[in-house]
Amino acid sequence: MKLAELQTTFQHALFDAECTEAEWIKASARGLSSRDRLDVYHNAYRLRLIDVLFDTFEHTAIYLGDDWFKQLAADYVQLHPSTYTNIGLYGRELPGFLVQRLAGDKEVSELALMDWKLRRAFDGADSAVMTLDDLQQLARVESSICLQAVPTLTICTQHFNTLDIWHAINQDQTPPVVESLPEPIELLIWRKGHSPHFRSLSKIESAAIACVHSGKSLDDIGAILEKDFPDADVATEFGIMLHRWLDDEIISRP
Amino acid sequence: MTFGFGLGLRTEHYNDFLAEPQPVDWLEVISDNYMVDGGKPLAMLDQIRANYPMAMHGVSMSIGSIKGLDNDYLTKLKILEQRIEPMWVSDHLCWTGVHGRNMHDLLPLPYTDEALQVVKRNVEHAQEVLQRPLVLENVSSYVEYESSEMTEWEFLTEVSQVTGCRLLLDLNNIYVSAFNHDFSPSSFIEGVPVDSVMQFHLAGHQDNGDILIDTHDHSVCDGVWDLYRQALMRFGYVPTMIERDDQIPALAELISELDMARAIANDVLNTKVAL
Repeated sequence: MKLAELQTTFQHALFDAECTEAEWIKASARGLSSRDRLDVYHNAYRLRLIDVLFDTFEHTAIYLGDDWFKQLAADYVQLHPSTYTNIGLYGRELPGFLVQRLAGDKEVSELALMDWKLRRAFDGADSAVMTLDDLQQLARVESSICLQAVPTLTICTQHFNTLDIWHAINQDQTPPVVESLPEPIELLIWRKGHSPHFRSLSKIESAAIACVHSGKSLDDIGAILEKDFPDADVATEFGIMLHRWLDDEIISRP
Repeated sequence: MTFGFGLGLRTEHYNDFLAEPQPVDWLEVISDNYMVDGGKPLAMLDQIRANYPMAMHGVSMSIGSIKGLDNDYLTKLKILEQRIEPMWVSDHLCWTGVHGRNMHDLLPLPYTDEALQVVKRNVEHAQEVLQRPLVLENVSSYVEYESSEMTEWEFLTEVSQVTGCRLLLDLNNIYVSAFNHDFSPSSFIEGVPVDSVMQFHLAGHQDNGDILIDTHDHSVCDGVWDLYRQALMRFGYVPTMIERDDQIPALAELISELDMARAIANDVLNTKVAL
């Protein structure tokens, strides 16, 4: 058998749900069948990826329980061959998979997405963080200032009390009964120092961060917020927000 | 070479290495774990690198892939290499996947002339990017192929002699594969050219009765220590490390195991000199 055919055949054998005999494997002096030998790799492939999913989606696995999560993870592995060189990136599509598989329990996929984004924030790109001094210096020399968020910053939307569920799991407590929220919340996720952080956003802060992402200047952001939140004391709230962003280390130094 | 005795750097031991100097001459890092965009892994790596020489050890180059090497992977590997300036860069004589898929395993190659040409081409490509000799490790295996035309050590020797790459002999892998395929581990040791070996790995495995599995979750067994003695007699002093990837014990336990390697090396090399 030529190498290309052997590698393709071997790979198919590992991806197949059932491990079978293989005539291209040398007969064993120890009496082990080709299937027994291939099964070492067949099992290892699944166990390794399931372990990664348990590690990345830690809170989701605890919420579902080991047995249920393991079954779902095994089904996911069977349907989603790894295309990643870095095994730590495996599982990107799991939240979407859980939406399909657990259509009546959508908080599970929200929990999984939160686990995923927190993990990605952990080893996301570094950047220098802007301080209050940096911003003040910038204000002295620039007539218009555009802020840039740190590269790990991301937002996810939750429709259920998923955040409460996450906190309960994180504190080894019984998660609350799942409830649909009166209106969705947006969760800000980023890395501060070496640790992933998250917090929920008010509507006005969510709008302000969307403006930062779209490259608006501070003056423009203020004007947009004044227009969209006519009942708010925008000057005060935006000032408080800016200080918090700097304290939270979510703004990059240019 | 005077690099001494090393350990694989594992996250469980970051604080030990940051807190105080440890009796370890160098550390081997899994390259793939640090080929990330940023964050704690790279910050820890930089801090620990400041106090320890390092070797880079990869698991995903797929040097035996008929499709050739992944240039994006090589680029990231080169960036890491420039960041930590390792003593050497190693990976495995294996393939990990084709057609854009990755099985995250060290799959054995058929030892054929065709595979030899593929590996030679890929090693030369890697060496061109890295601008240094690659170091290749023998893997544990559970299958052999009907199509193989030579032994694993003949294959490794040929790759090394033609490309100038060096070899990392994992003595546990030799022990595991020798049991699984019923060949003499001594034949492997005796079949590899003395001047090609750059590093030894010592590790543990799981004994399933009719097959040994390279789990790296046990201490080094007596049979592998015996093989280490044989290897020292043939190759002389070679930088040696203990590799533990699962069921990671306290650092002190691994250092104790490393001390055993030191004692055996002293004993064997002194005997060798006396002879």
